Amino acid sequence: MPSTGVLPGKDSLANLRVLDLSDGIAGAYCTRLFAGYGADVLVLEPPGGHALRRHGPFAGGPPHRETGAAWLYLAANKRSVTLDIQTATARRLCRRMVEEATIIVESFPPGRLAALGLGLEELRAIKRRIVLLSITPFGQSGRHAQWKATNLTSFASGGQMSLTGEPDREPLVNGGYQAECQAGLQAFAAGATAAVNADALEVPQQVDISAQECMASALELYLSWWAYLKRDISQRKGNVLSAMVGIYPAADGYLGFHIMPRNWPWFARAIGRPDLIEDSRFKDNYSRLQNNDELEAIIYEWSGRQSAQEVYRQAGAARVPVAFVHTIGDLLASEQLQERGYFQAIAHPVAGQQTYAGAPFRLSAVDWQPGRAPLLGEHNEEFYCGEMGLSGADLSRLRAAGVV
Amino acid sequence: MYRLPLHGVRVLDLTMAWAGPYATRLLADMGAEVIKIEAVGNWDLLRTYTGQPPSVERVWDKSPYFNHMNRNKYGCALDLSLPRGRELFLRLVPHADVVIENFRAEVMDNLGLTFEVLAQANDQIIVVSMPGHGKSGPERDYVAYGTNVEQLSGLCHLTGYPDGPPQKTGISYGDPTAGVAAAGAVALALWDRRRTGRGQYIEVAQRENLTNMIGEQVLAYLMTGREPRRRGNRHSSMAPHGCYRCAGDDAWVTVACENDAQFAALCAVMGRPELARDKRFADVVSRYRRQDELDAVIAGWTGGRPPQEAAEALQAAGVPAMPVLRVPDVFADGHLRERGFFEPVSHAVAGVWEMEGPHWHMSESPGHIRIPPPAFGEHNDYVFRTLLGLSDGEIESLRAEGITGDAPDWSVHE
Repeated sequence: MPSTGVLPGKDSLANLRVLDLSDGIAGAYCTRLFAGYGADVLVLEPPGGHALRRHGPFAGGPPHRETGAAWLYLAANKRSVTLDIQTATARRLCRRMVEEATIIVESFPPGRLAALGLGLEELRAIKRRIVLLSITPFGQSGRHAQWKATNLTSFASGGQMSLTGEPDREPLVNGGYQAECQAGLQAFAAGATAAVNADALEVPQQVDISAQECMASALELYLSWWAYLKRDISQRKGNVLSAMVGIYPAADGYLGFHIMPRNWPWFARAIGRPDLIEDSRFKDNYSRLQNNDELEAIIYEWSGRQSAQEVYRQAGAARVPVAFVHTIGDLLASEQLQERGYFQAIAHPVAGQQTYAGAPFRLSAVDWQPGRAPLLGEHNEEFYCGEMGLSGADLSRLRAAGVV
Repeated sequence: MYRLPLHGVRVLDLTMAWAGPYATRLLADMGAEVIKIEAVGNWDLLRTYTGQPPSVERVWDKSPYFNHMNRNKYGCALDLSLPRGRELFLRLVPHADVVIENFRAEVMDNLGLTFEVLAQANDQIIVVSMPGHGKSGPERDYVAYGTNVEQLSGLCHLTGYPDGPPQKTGISYGDPTAGVAAAGAVALALWDRRRTGRGQYIEVAQRENLTNMIGEQVLAYLMTGREPRRRGNRHSSMAPHGCYRCAGDDAWVTVACENDAQFAALCAVMGRPELARDKRFADVVSRYRRQDELDAVIAGWTGGRPPQEAAEALQAAGVPAMPVLRVPDVFADGHLRERGFFEPVSHAVAGVWEMEGPHWHMSESPGHIRIPPPAFGEHNDYVFRTLLGLSDGEIESLRAEGITGDAPDWSVHE
């Protein structure tokens, strides 16, 4: 794996070495994206394995460190080397690894990296021109920097949760691990941006990513209205924001509408009520909002009798923003996704062949890699002996000392 | 201090609404020179979300939503649908590094502004499209807003109360997630270009990007043969793990216990240390089975306290807990303010207020709000005179023909 020099070929991203010390979903999602586009991502796992290896479900049933869904998905295309970072020997090795890296990704509580001798100050002494990408729930500074968080409590901190759910019930966390994934996606973009001009800096650059801020910067119009107008319109509204924007039950699933004023005549005809187009209660956007509940009842009654797929096709052909709520089964069966080759079948020596979501976005000159997740320590020999120049005997000594 | 990471990168920004403008806001925050291009007859819908009567002077320059999304950018009015406008745009492309748009899939083709055409004008140009469904496939011309994107991605299917339907999330979630992805893609393309000298075409199919954010669920479905169940605020293994009502109007706190020690700490803080030794709750499996009982105990304790007080007591004992911050709480949050998250902005038409600043904190080249959001057509002169070298007479004729202007045609979005 080349780590220096300029390759004019298709794989210039292979020159981007990412050293991944992170232990959560945010960091793993961030480095999954780097790895997918061909960067050389080296995951430093504790000898017992990365924490995500314990997340189920597992291919084949019983828990196994090589077959967990989260690990298989998030670690695809990465290399695994084991290293017990708690040992002094490991930290010496780690400092040498840093010399070959462009980006270090970490998610320790603030201050922990410095305690391990790998903080920003120590990096200044080792190597210039490196990006230290730190991803935490609350960032590196401020009164809550040391507060503990899980995906749930982190999601609560960013404002989005207060907006999600029914008005008369408790606020809801988004499905999956969205606080972590938002932070991971933002960290990827921020790290890649910092790397663009890392060569021009003579010192390391720390990029401090706070999950809370990532979410707080994505509050649609709500924060801006409060900041500028001191008007709070952020009350939870459940599944229907206004009659024309929301999720409604269909006969066989759920439909999602985002009907704009220009789509109203089409929509009125689609629901079998062309008379509403000229009806004074609904003829313009303002009157529709004034008679919102009435309109909502009409749509509700109609949609419950519809085939979600059929309405989706008809609206799509008319360029009207309508979707149906896709189950995971619907995703896998989607002709759109199939024709675009979105899903990829990837073989794994322990987990077998599985179907994976592919490229989140496509670059014409940089391919998305269809690689698998590494086995624990799979690249120890290749890396320590082949790239760091240790002998086989050295590696055995490190193993015996519990470092690797 | 060093220059911002994207200093010297010029972006021609045709995006509107949220997804695209969020992408270019991130680029602008990091130092790119972003020129937002609107037309008198086709301008950013966000300018209509003013919260003020239409009679207010230049109300289109006072939309808080538009202004928050477009700070650090220049603004220019240029109608690409008119031949002279399109020609001038193509003359700008050699001065640019990135062209980005979030129209429906077919719009740029219809304008005769395909990647091939743009690359002829500048062979190093990076072009970004952000269609909902992608530029190919049977649904390519379907329209999807951010709310539709989350429905299409699988996220809504996973979100919701255990006894309820799939849930809309609180924001048009597909928009900012596509925006961040687009910004990251531009950074990768710039990295690549500095090493290879080539430009490229980037396609962000918004629904595909968001399905990536639930990708482990696809594997889980195939491994178990079952659709995932909606679990509200509960977790697949941690317990307790929920959102509890507190004293106050719509006041809530989230609490999660990752292990036995945190559960013991929670019990101690609630004044119920015996629960940690109670065999009904002594291990995570028992706690998981009896979550309803535990939730009632926790809600009993939180119900008498404001969320901040509950969270502080729990955090002091090492238990993950956080109030569900509402939008005004976010704006007032002491922690965010200590980090300098909010910055003042001063705008010639809209006045002075505070908005969220750049949130990618770079230690050596920190980003700030350097330029207020652009009034409509505010930087026409910079674009037409400085970049394109047009004369006063030529600019006047552009104005006369409606190719540029200083005010949008308000009837467009009425």
